[in-house]
Formats: sequence, structure tokens, C-alpha cells
Amino acid sequence: MGRRAGRETARGDLLLFVGCVALALIALVLPRQWAQGLTATLRTTAFRPMVILQDRAAEDLTARFRLKGIQQQRDSLALAIQQQGALRQENDNLRSLVTLRQRLARPYVAAEVLHRPASTEGRMLLVGAGTTVGVDSFAAVVTAEGLLGAIWNAGPTSSSVMTWVHPEFRASAVTGDGRVLGLVQPSPAMEGRQPLLELRGVALRDSLTIGTTVFTSGLGGVFPRGIPIGTVAKIGRDELGYERVYLIRPFVNPGIVSHVLILTAPRDSMFLPLPGGEGP
Amino acid sequence: MTLRSSDRRRRTRSTDRVRIGLVVLLLIFTDAYLLPSLVTGPWVPDLLLLALLLLAIRQSPGTAAVIGFAVGLVADVLSPAHFGAGIMAHVLVGWGASWGRSVFFADNLFVNAALFAVGTWVRNLIVLLLSGTAASELLVQLTVWSPLQGLSTAAVGVLVVMLFRDWLAIRIDA
Repeated sequence: MGRRAGRETARGDLLLFVGCVALALIALVLPRQWAQGLTATLRTTAFRPMVILQDRAAEDLTARFRLKGIQQQRDSLALAIQQQGALRQENDNLRSLVTLRQRLARPYVAAEVLHRPASTEGRMLLVGAGTTVGVDSFAAVVTAEGLLGAIWNAGPTSSSVMTWVHPEFRASAVTGDGRVLGLVQPSPAMEGRQPLLELRGVALRDSLTIGTTVFTSGLGGVFPRGIPIGTVAKIGRDELGYERVYLIRPFVNPGIVSHVLILTAPRDSMFLPLPGGEGP
Repeated sequence: MTLRSSDRRRRTRSTDRVRIGLVVLLLIFTDAYLLPSLVTGPWVPDLLLLALLLLAIRQSPGTAAVIGFAVGLVADVLSPAHFGAGIMAHVLVGWGASWGRSVFFADNLFVNAALFAVGTWVRNLIVLLLSGTAASELLVQLTVWSPLQGLSTAAVGVLVVMLFRDWLAIRIDA
């Protein structure tokens, strides 16, 4: 009698386990759009309290440990803007003289990164801003240093960001002088513990020197032109020998980024001037 | 007399559940608010996983798998990498912890600490594999960050077991 009850319990356990594994497998093969919809819905309903708590924790962390650094950055920026006032006035006057339209502004939404201690955290980040403040899927996400990634899925109050570490990340890139174009993607090579990007699709006739800064080119309709990506760290090798490959050391480390700017528009900006060959 | 003793047993069991629930709630709150408001980094202890392991070693394997499913869902929703990877990893770790406990675990502090550390490492391994991580990154994660996170999770786990051993009904031999 007891043995039969034990056997039934074991069978029940096995059924529960198999059921959970089957559901996990379904979740794994779920089409991306469905999975995105499901996670966005859960973040705004059942797990909303946890997102609110994490948002609050990120704010408190900033207030506790990063406030001084932010104040210093703000002071430096205020000084820089003050010094550029005359330059801007001169630029505006020159533009009006040659009837050139105003340079396109990049509206943005600031957001805090809600970090979690997950092993895959660097690839996808959760940020505390969503569609209610104008964030949309595929909006470019940048920091003061440069490109971080793009919005993967935007919910009403939080969004997930695909960073440049994600295996599916791609961005059209160009050097500061606009001479060399290519496509950046995550590299399987690493520099110590730091992941790298690789610039592919560079024509064999073109060559880059170590330390050259690479920017987004504005092609592709996702990333506006002129966002710094990183600098050339090494020369890679294309096994087929059809193209030049360069390893890029990115300016932004997704693992430690705390605040981001989500560019809400415009994306079609391939005719904008590049900031030049200098870094950020 | 028999009824009274069964009543007492039922009451003790419900008190136990409330106490364990309180410990789990404390861990969830610490994981969602307290810890991220103090530190961030890949080495930070994962208290949701710790809560899962503490519950798993008290439950049958099937129930542990269901709890693992719930914890994995939370992980996948809050740190999106590849939906389903977290669920699968937590189900397997929860089920494995419960099964292992019923087969060979002793009520020993060191064994509990080893369970928390190994559980964290195995969970990370499964998540990384299912998320299609490149070999170089996988190596760094499994040799540097996952062992560190396993150790920090084990340290917090030992602290929780020491503080709440009566509530968790864990007998420590050594």
C-alpha cells in the first residue's frame, strides 16, 4: 500500500517535471514576436511590482554612489556649452547666409538601466522607459561615450535593449573621414575579458590604422549617422580573403552602463556631417 | 488525543509554511530592491535562485520543478536574453536539487553551501548554452564570473541558513 503510494508520488513528480520541461521547450521555440509580446505583457502586469522595485533601486544606487560623478559631468558640460555659445551663434549666422536649413536635432529619452545578476545580462538590458514617453522598437540607444544598441521590445513603462554584445547585433559603420564603410557585428574574439566588435565588408583596397574611430553611417534606417562605436584595436583575418576585417574596441561597456539615452528620431540621417576622425 | 496531535501537526506545518514564505519574500525583496540599490555586477549573488534552492531541498522533485518554472519565468522576463533559456535552466536546477537532496544530501552546512554554488554555476551554464553564447565568452563566463557568482550566492545562502535554520527546519550536523 505504502509502496504503491510512493510510486504514484514519484510518477506525479515525473509528470510535473516533464510538463515543466515541455513548457520550457515551447518557450524556447516560441516565435520571437510572441515571446516579446508575452514578456512585455508580464512586465506590465504580474511582474510590474518587481520592475518598479528595480527602477527604484537603480535610482537609489545613483543617488547613493554616482551623484558626485554626475554632478561633475554636468558641470563640465555646462562649461563646454557656455564656451560654445559664440561658436553656435556664428554657425547659425553662416547657415542663414547660405540659406542652409538648421542641423537636425536628435530628440531623446533618458532612462536608467535595471541591472540583474544574470550571466547573459550584457546582451540584453532592461531600461525604465517605454512607449508612454515615446520609446519605440528599433530606437537607437546611446550613452555619453557612444553606441550601446537598439530597443528590442518596448513596453509601456520599460523596454529591453539589444546591446552590441548580442550575437544578432549589426550596424552599418563608417570611419570619421567617410572614406571606409563596413558592417560591425560582435566578434568571437575577446581582448582579455572584454568582448570586441568586428568591422567586416571593408574593401581590400581600403585599409585602416590602429586607433581609427568608427561611427555609425546612418545606413539601414536604425542608427542615426555619427554615433561613435569604437576604435580599431587589431587587424582581423578573413578566411576567404575577400574582404578586410578589423577588430573594434567599443567605447561602451554594457555590463557597467547605468544611464542611457534613447534617440526617438530621426533615423534617416545619412547626409549629416560626421563628427570627424576624433573619439568622443 | 489523536485529533489534538494531528491538529497540532497541521498548525505547525502551516506555521512552517508562513515562516518559509517570509524568508522567500525577504529574499525576493532583497534581490529586487536592496541588493541592486547597493551593488551591481556579474558576481552579485542571485537570491531568486537561492530562494528556489532553499525551497527545492524541502519539496518533492515535481514541486521543485514547478517552482523552478516560476523563478525561470521571472528571470526571463526581467533579464531578457533568450526567452525560455532561464525557464529550462531553473526547472532542471530545481528538480536536480530536490532529487539530489532525497538521494544523498547530508544536513551539513558545507554541503548546503556547495549546493548553492554548484546550482548557480550549472544554471549559468545551461542559460549560456541555450542562449547561443560564443565559445570565448562562454569560457570567460564559466571560469570567471559564474564561479564568483556561485561563491557569493553560497556565502549569502550559508548566512540565510544560519540565521533562519529553525524556520527553514534545516538540521546542521557540522
